[in-house]
Amino acid sequence: MKTVEQRLEEHLITAEPYYLVSGTEIEIALSAYKNGLPLLLKGPTGCGKTRFMQYLAWKLQRPLITVSCHDDLSTSDLVGRYLIRSGEAVWIDGPLTLAVRAGAICYLDEIVEARKDTTVVIHPLADDRRELPVEKLGELLTAPPEFMISVSYNPGYQSVLKDLKPSTRQRFVAISFDYPLPDQEVEIVCQEGGVEKELAHSLVKLAGMTRSLKESGLAEGASTRLLIQAGKLTQDGIDIHTACRVAIIEPLSDDPELLAALQEMVSSIF
Amino acid sequence: MKLAALSEQFYSLVSPDIPNEWDVEEVMEPFIETNDKVCEVILEHIPVIWPVSHSLCYDFLRQAPEALKHLSLEQLPHWVGVALDIYENDGLRTAQRFMQDGVENHLSRLKGSGGLALASVEKRLLPYIRGIARDELQIVPARETYTDTSTLYAPEEINLFHNNEQNFLLYKLIFTYQWGYIACGSFLARAPEGFPLFSNREDSLWLRAFLDSFTNPPLARDIYHLLESIRVKIFLHKELPGLMRAVSKLPFPLDLPLPMKNKANLFFASIQQGLTGDKTDLYTLLQPHLTPSECQRFLHGEATPQDSARLVPRLYSTLHNKDQDYIPFPPLPFQGRLKLRSVETARKVQKEKMGEQFVDLMAAHFLTLSQEKLKNILKDEERDSGGSGLAESDVSMIMDSEFAQTADQDKAAPLLVTINNEELEFPPELESFTRKFLDEFGQLPTRFITSAAGKAGEGMLRGDVGGQEEGEQQSTGTVVYDEWDYRRQGYRKNWCSLQLKELPQVHSPFIRNTLDKYHGLTLRLRHQFEMMRSQERFVKRQREGDDIDFDALVESLSDTQAGLPSSDRLFIRLKQDERDIAVLFLVDMSNSTSGWVNTALKESLVLMSEAMEVLGDRYGIYGFSGMRRSRCELFHVKHLTESYGERVKERISSIGPSEYTRMGPPIRHATRLLQEVDAKVRLIITLTDGKPEDYDDYKGDYAIEDTRHALLEAKVAGIHPFCITIDHQAHDYMEHMYGPANYIFVDNVRKLPLRMPEIYRTLTS
Repeated sequence: MKTVEQRLEEHLITAEPYYLVSGTEIEIALSAYKNGLPLLLKGPTGCGKTRFMQYLAWKLQRPLITVSCHDDLSTSDLVGRYLIRSGEAVWIDGPLTLAVRAGAICYLDEIVEARKDTTVVIHPLADDRRELPVEKLGELLTAPPEFMISVSYNPGYQSVLKDLKPSTRQRFVAISFDYPLPDQEVEIVCQEGGVEKELAHSLVKLAGMTRSLKESGLAEGASTRLLIQAGKLTQDGIDIHTACRVAIIEPLSDDPELLAALQEMVSSIF
Repeated sequence: MKLAALSEQFYSLVSPDIPNEWDVEEVMEPFIETNDKVCEVILEHIPVIWPVSHSLCYDFLRQAPEALKHLSLEQLPHWVGVALDIYENDGLRTAQRFMQDGVENHLSRLKGSGGLALASVEKRLLPYIRGIARDELQIVPARETYTDTSTLYAPEEINLFHNNEQNFLLYKLIFTYQWGYIACGSFLARAPEGFPLFSNREDSLWLRAFLDSFTNPPLARDIYHLLESIRVKIFLHKELPGLMRAVSKLPFPLDLPLPMKNKANLFFASIQQGLTGDKTDLYTLLQPHLTPSECQRFLHGEATPQDSARLVPRLYSTLHNKDQDYIPFPPLPFQGRLKLRSVETARKVQKEKMGEQFVDLMAAHFLTLSQEKLKNILKDEERDSGGSGLAESDVSMIMDSEFAQTADQDKAAPLLVTINNEELEFPPELESFTRKFLDEFGQLPTRFITSAAGKAGEGMLRGDVGGQEEGEQQSTGTVVYDEWDYRRQGYRKNWCSLQLKELPQVHSPFIRNTLDKYHGLTLRLRHQFEMMRSQERFVKRQREGDDIDFDALVESLSDTQAGLPSSDRLFIRLKQDERDIAVLFLVDMSNSTSGWVNTALKESLVLMSEAMEVLGDRYGIYGFSGMRRSRCELFHVKHLTESYGERVKERISSIGPSEYTRMGPPIRHATRLLQEVDAKVRLIITLTDGKPEDYDDYKGDYAIEDTRHALLEAKVAGIHPFCITIDHQAHDYMEHMYGPANYIFVDNVRKLPLRMPEIYRTLTS
């Protein structure tokens, strides 16, 4: 069995992740970290929220423990549970407890997907108490100053019912993310997708067009991530039309007419 | 006599309307000679067309004999369907024109030999062009290709090429090119230096006045348009190289029908050749007419609309021939025409629309100001409350046309507006909207600010009075719905207007009496429904879970000791059985429910609500009635999220018989309401006493088919419709409308309050 140190080691980011700063988000996050305040990241899919967290964790040299939330996520999934190992009951820390003990950064991705009663468990951690009660152990953990909790969600597509509770909301420093400005996005696609500037420019143009189709029935436009993936495919010699189709268009919609319209955009641009 | 019989039949078909006798006789006369079978088929269409448009119906009868020379009887319904669609989209005139001269065209389209129809590619091209333009542009079929900056017009059909793929590409090019004119600012050229300004009225374009100032405006217009087409071509080459590459392979037939001796025609023909060819051709073709530096500017995409305007007088003087009339040279299909008047109209509409939005935003902003500041701003308003509000002279703004031109450099400077010496800063949302407005139109008319102030003043006054209005059945809005016509196998567009109304709250002992009367039953129901409530329960022997299941663990350990394979299901998990149900009750409030039926319906609702409160399912209650398609009514009793309090109880008490039963619109509205709700199970339960029926032609098969279709729409949206009826003849049509298992017949109305909760229970568990 791995020791706690080993498990934490895996979460430490050693190489600098690529992140293009677009505003004051780094300063805000650093200041929040210094003051022990939790972070709330809002923004559309694939615009760089997770990458930002990786970058922040690297900058602070703290392990980053990410939990992808889903609607069956229970409190014990976060805090920990007893397991039976060779006839004995063994307590295993959940990711949140692990992060608190080790002073890591705990990142709850897509927090609104989790059940509301589950999110309540982070309340005492996310205010000035900074503590985590572990009922089954009868322990009350106090977070060290190095610990940080951050959550993210996408306000765009979630329904009203999947909104955050005000009591949860009102504990965070919120940073709003959006797709980068065209020039920055070109740079990111160049860097991450490894493509020429001209191609990156066309990809960003395509993304811009898809993002304006909200009224025509497209829930979300192409994210920066999709552009990067399309770029990577072209680097392996896949034809740009095919790359755009499989990496950008098909993931966006299932509606045949919208797909056809998107395909027309691709054939116009490239 | 046959004419009399025919007229008689006509009257019976359009009843209760009584059209003019001579009109009827006039259209019926040609049918005297027609054989009975054909007559019958033609007359069958009258109930389909008449309610949509009387004139169109007469026209149909006039044109039908002629049309039947080309069409078979089986093709007639399709022809009528197309005509009705045209009527609903483009109005009577276009539909009449279609009926008059469209038979051959219609037939050739049916055969599929007529090239590519816009209707068949619109769904693909509309999102395409909106994405490209990043704007909500519209696509509309028209005789000519042009744009007014908010709509792109293109021919209804293209058959320039034999291959429909190429025709499609041409459509794509047409729309992209027309958008190109908008994107390149072709319509908004400002006066170049040294050019006359003309009277700069608020909504007129400088360009139009400029081109009209020539002795031969069409020539000047075509020159400008051609130069702009070059700019657009260069722009598109840069912006959408893929499209332009594909298009360069299109074999445009460059026929030259006009006398080529004419200098102007030669010029247009040669440059048009350049527009369909590649850039180098264009350079050679432009050279004789422009200086090398001008050529460079155009071909490198550096030219502006002002450059084109500046060139017009020079080219005009060389091409204009006083002795010879200028016959406009036909433009290339994708170029279309330059229609500046349409642009002006469209911009005016756009401006008013944006103006209204601005007024709303601004008025809302005014109302957030402090009372004192607001009073100061609105002081003129109060002085003469009957007046039109602020005088325009009281408003001054630091944002004039000069600002708009320098907007790019000066984005940081905040917008300020001074009203009655009160300085006002714009909040961010309003500011970005205003900047958008200024970018588009150059300046913001002060009248928008004054009307915003007026609106805010009204709002303030209304706020002071504070909801004194409590009229009966207060209307809260109107929604328009399509209606299904089974004979046409299509929708009548925007046919019914459904008025959403509030039922008045009535203080009456009804609720108390009902609860007394059914005291025992209520208690029993509460108990039954409590049992159905969502429960958390522990499930034992799980592979994963929150806690250890000690029974399982002990068993497993002893199994291991005994050398048996042990189970790994050692955990207990807390499982929640959530009832995630949203249900809407639609209560028939037609006249026929008066008396006992109404009381029974109300009693059932009370008992249901009492039980539902225990259960915790989301439920809403609406009543429906109305008369004719123009006044269908939906009465609000309880919204899905509203709590069951005094107000709801009072509204239930006031449910009473009203008018007719047009079921389609309320069901469609309920569907729409439930679509917005996230629930695992969504139900519409209709409580009715009979068939759907209205005062107009909403009767019999038509009414049943429309209701059935509305229910089908609900099913498609993932909503289960269910009906509780007390009509004795229900079995005939209910099964057809709702499907075999989706309705229940309660034979004794007095039993309804007992039966309804029971039905709901079996339905949802």
